[in-house]
Amino acid sequence: MIIAETGPPQPREHLQEKCVNPSRRAFLMTSILAGGAIVLSAAPLVSTVIVPSLKKGVGRWIDFGKADSLTSDHFSMLSYEFMVKDGWLDLPQRGFVWAKADSMEGFKIFSSTCSHLACNVIWNKDSRVFECPCHSGRFDPDGRPVSGPPKKPLSLLLHKVEEEKLLIHITL
Amino acid sequence: MVEEMTRQRIEPGSKDKALEGLLKRLQGLEIPADAICWRRFFGSMILVLLTLLFLSGVLMAFFYSPVPGTAYDSVDHLQFNLPMGNLLRGVHHYAWNLLLIVMGFHLFRAFILGAYKAPRQLVWISGVSFFLIIPLFIITGDLLPWDQKGYWSTQVRLSIIGSIPVVGDLLVQMFRGGPLTGIVALTRFYILHILLLPGALIFLIAFHLYALVTRGLSGPLSGNGTPRPRAPFFPVIVNRWLLLFIVSAIGLGIMAWRWPAPLGDPADPTDSSFIPRPEWWVLFLNQLVTIFKGPLMIIGSAIIPGGLLVLMTALPFLDRSPERRPWRRKRVMIIAIVIIAVLTVLSVMGYIEHFVRPEH
Repeated sequence: MIIAETGPPQPREHLQEKCVNPSRRAFLMTSILAGGAIVLSAAPLVSTVIVPSLKKGVGRWIDFGKADSLTSDHFSMLSYEFMVKDGWLDLPQRGFVWAKADSMEGFKIFSSTCSHLACNVIWNKDSRVFECPCHSGRFDPDGRPVSGPPKKPLSLLLHKVEEEKLLIHITL
Repeated sequence: MVEEMTRQRIEPGSKDKALEGLLKRLQGLEIPADAICWRRFFGSMILVLLTLLFLSGVLMAFFYSPVPGTAYDSVDHLQFNLPMGNLLRGVHHYAWNLLLIVMGFHLFRAFILGAYKAPRQLVWISGVSFFLIIPLFIITGDLLPWDQKGYWSTQVRLSIIGSIPVVGDLLVQMFRGGPLTGIVALTRFYILHILLLPGALIFLIAFHLYALVTRGLSGPLSGNGTPRPRAPFFPVIVNRWLLLFIVSAIGLGIMAWRWPAPLGDPADPTDSSFIPRPEWWVLFLNQLVTIFKGPLMIIGSAIIPGGLLVLMTALPFLDRSPERRPWRRKRVMIIAIVIIAVLTVLSVMGYIEHFVRPEH
């Protein structure tokens, strides 16, 4: 040790005291206090801003009434509106699905949400494709992407017929 | 060379009152006289536009109701029933569009003249960070009128954010506060737009100006290191800034009166006839998202824009030679020209796709 070489032998306690660097001690103290302050401030942030945001959308069965007007050659737009609790308010949520009668499965029902960037796709009767106006994505009548940016098919929606009424499972 | 601004230290025994000292410091501020010319007004112009955005925004907030059912009506009321309400919205609308353009020129000028080089790296980096915050202002602000364009642009933008692997979905949920774009989402966007983002912006402006004051304005390219003649900040700069403010306010006011800010139909998730079109500043990004499909989408939505931002931030450390003359910095210039050319081509492609032949 350099200290021992240059000066007279020093008492043990003095050396030990030197090992505790006062500025390091102050830095550690500040870090602990700052950590505590951050945890205290972050707790309400996590509980109010973050945790409620993680709630997933709930699905529900929507009654579309008698679906006898649906044909098997073209998709029809079925609009819905129902109340959804959003935060502290019940607000009407509106949207639509594309539906047609299908000999094999009864009905074929597609979500109107483009699998690319969530615009509404539109059924084009003449060219027999679903078109997305946002980025020119196209889907065939089976919901498969045929051109444009979408790579995933349109989502098929669950449905059932109860008491001659068409019920569609819609997740919001 | 560091051009220090005047530093008047108040002696401990001074009889000056506290505010007198501050006043003296402000009066003693000087800037190099060569910086006073018409080619160097972009920074002042940005401050003018931000001031106009702040003032018009505060006045609009007095009449805004952040609830999906009434937000549209409150904006409609402001624009069509209040005297000069139309001007407020218009000035706010044109000011942020112009702000993007002026910020582009400001950045371009600093780049061409090598103003980012030592000792001004921090001025450049703090300036580049504005490009992180301003898009957030636009994303959050566009939803507030709750019209078709705002609603559908938000859907598309959130989907783009959601396509980022791992963190995308979480980010979208944090933004919206849940699975819906409804009242919780609108409240979040509102708080971000009028409280948190302006706070961050004011901090950034202060930081940018602090870096500028301590590291100085970049000198003329032909500068030889001799002390430059100086001009007082007050009244020379202050008066010019005020003049710029008045001219800009009148100019934007006339634009707002002549061509009112657009307010579409109320947001309607069931409307199938509405075709959302990307705004001019985001055309290149929109095109990138169209080019990279499916699992590659992250390249267009996150890697390329993020990479550009990292590249811009790192520029002072990548190009470290003291040479500032653009014709002696060929490599940097060529890379920049290629990037600007690609962005321009992408924007033109996007413009043609969405505006020239909008058959879908």
